[in-house]
Amino acid sequence: MNLTKDNTASEDRVGTGQAAINRILATEETLIPSSGFLASVMERVQEEAAAPPPIPFPWKRAIPGMVLVTGTLGWGAFEFVRHAISDVHQLAFTPPHISATLVAPLEEAAWIALALGVSLVSWLVSRRLAGRSGLL
Amino acid sequence: MADVDRVLAGDVRAFEGIVRRWQGPLVNMAWRYCRDRHRAEDLAQEAFLRAWRALPQWRRESSFSTWLFALAANLFRSELKRFPTVNAPIDAAPEPFHGATQHHSLAAQQSSEKVRRAVLAFPARYREPVILYYFHEMDVAAAARTMGLPEGTFKARLSRARALLKRRFPHLEAENAGMESSALNNGKEA
Repeated sequence: MNLTKDNTASEDRVGTGQAAINRILATEETLIPSSGFLASVMERVQEEAAAPPPIPFPWKRAIPGMVLVTGTLGWGAFEFVRHAISDVHQLAFTPPHISATLVAPLEEAAWIALALGVSLVSWLVSRRLAGRSGLL
Repeated sequence: MADVDRVLAGDVRAFEGIVRRWQGPLVNMAWRYCRDRHRAEDLAQEAFLRAWRALPQWRRESSFSTWLFALAANLFRSELKRFPTVNAPIDAAPEPFHGATQHHSLAAQQSSEKVRRAVLAFPARYREPVILYYFHEMDVAAAARTMGLPEGTFKARLSRARALLKRRFPHLEAENAGMESSALNNGKEA
């Protein structure tokens, strides 16, 4: 009998607690936006509407360059792996034979490919960061 | 809806009607997220600007208000994650003071404010359901839609948040009852 009373009292207490929380959180004061709020929003909207549209990224022009860079990097990686594998098979270090006239242009091409690769990576990273921060 | 159609047709001024209609709810919603009037207006302004930009992408699958509130909630959530409001952790929030005081209504206001501040100190997954549930006048479906959550998940989080509140403020009901009866007695005496 007492147990039933205790249970009822406990349930009542839980119910009252919930009611108190509901009462507190539901009776929130109502803010009235300041008098300049509407004008301020519309000013920003008008500015946005008047601004020229963002210049789209020139994909058509960039794609051939990106394909070239990707191809060069891929080819470089393939050659590197191929040389590494052949070196392992030979178990003796034999430097690849490249004629002296080819060394300089190859070195320049490698630097250009590296620079393009770094540019591409930095562009992708900055775009990703800008996207995360809501700028894009 | 007419204003939305006019905006989509290129009438920028029609957006004023949308702002006029929804400025109150959005400012109040932002206020519940940060409890800072100036910041609430800044957040609401940013939400309107986002709505202006995203209006052409509104697919009319849901009502305009649902879409607008969801957009605003996403913005408020991400902005407050980037620049959080300064809140004490929930365990540091003091229990509402239960002492004899002549200023019962003031004490009640203070204790209510402590409970509201304690909600802001919740982990984000429990804080937002509480904010949106009471913002939507205890309409679970509307609040769940604003958060983009299934109702079941929303209810589970809300229930957990309530349990946290009750654990933090175990004497809340007694105190409130005490204050109310004192206020009633004072009223009778007067």
